[in-house]
Amino acid sequence: MAKVMLDNNLYDRAKQAAAKNGYSSVDELIATAVENEIKRIGEADAEKQVADQLRGLGYIE
Amino acid sequence: MFDSTEITIVSGLPRSGTSLMMQMLDRGGIPALTDEIRTADTDNPQGYFEYERVKQTRDDPSWLDHADGKVVKMVSSLLYDLPTTHSCRVLFMRRDIDEILDSQEKMLTRLGRPAARREDIKQAFSVHLDRLLQWLPTQEHLQVLQVSYNDLFVSPNEEIGKVTRFLDRELDLPAMVDVIDPGLYRNRSSDISV
Repeated sequence: MAKVMLDNNLYDRAKQAAAKNGYSSVDELIATAVENEIKRIGEADAEKQVADQLRGLGYIE
Repeated sequence: MFDSTEITIVSGLPRSGTSLMMQMLDRGGIPALTDEIRTADTDNPQGYFEYERVKQTRDDPSWLDHADGKVVKMVSSLLYDLPTTHSCRVLFMRRDIDEILDSQEKMLTRLGRPAARREDIKQAFSVHLDRLLQWLPTQEHLQVLQVSYNDLFVSPNEEIGKVTRFLDRELDLPAMVDVIDPGLYRNRSSDISV
C-alpha cells in the first residue's frame, strides 16, 4: 500500500469529515476523493476532445 | 397527450442519423425549424436541417420562444444548455460508433480538418454518452427516447411506431417511411445487413 502525506490540519479536518459522513476511516474518505477526482478529470478531458471534434465538424462554435 | 406548444428536439452525435430523423419528422407533419445556412452536400445529400442559433443557446435561448410545435436539431453536447423553462421531447439517435467515426473521419477529411486518433475519440465519445445519458433522465423538462439509426433500416415501421407513440402525435407514417433510403446508408458496419 502506498502512503500519502497530509499536513496535520488537513488530516484533522479529514478525520472529522470522515466521521461525520459515515466513512470507516480517513483512508476510505481519501480513496473516494481521489477516485472522484480522477473520474472528473477523465470526463473533463473526454468532453474537451468531443468539443474539439464537434467544432471541427461545424456542429458547435 | 400532445401539447402543441411542446418542442421536439432531434439529437445525437454527428453522423448518427439526426438529419434523417429531421427529414422524416418534417415530412411526417412536424415543421422543422431550420435556417438552411448549411446546405446539402456530399455528406448530407438531403440537407442538414440545422438552425444556427441553437449553437448559442447557453447565451441566448430566445429562439425557443419561436419553436413551439416544431422540431429542431441539436448536437448532443448542446442539450446541457436547454433552459428548464421549456418542455421538450428529445429523440436521441444512436448508431454503431464505428460507423459514426468512419463517417466523421470522411467528413473531416473533406473539410480539410484533422481527425483525432480513432481509439482516443471513441473512448471520449463513450464517456460523453455515458455522462449525458445518465443526466438526461434527471431533467424534468426533457423526455427522451433513444432511436436506433441501424434499426430504422431493418424495421422502419416498428421504429417509426415507437417515435409516434413517444411524440403522441398523428404523423404521416407512409411519408416518413418513404424518407428512409437504404442508398443513403453508407459507412455501414460489415456485420449489419439491411
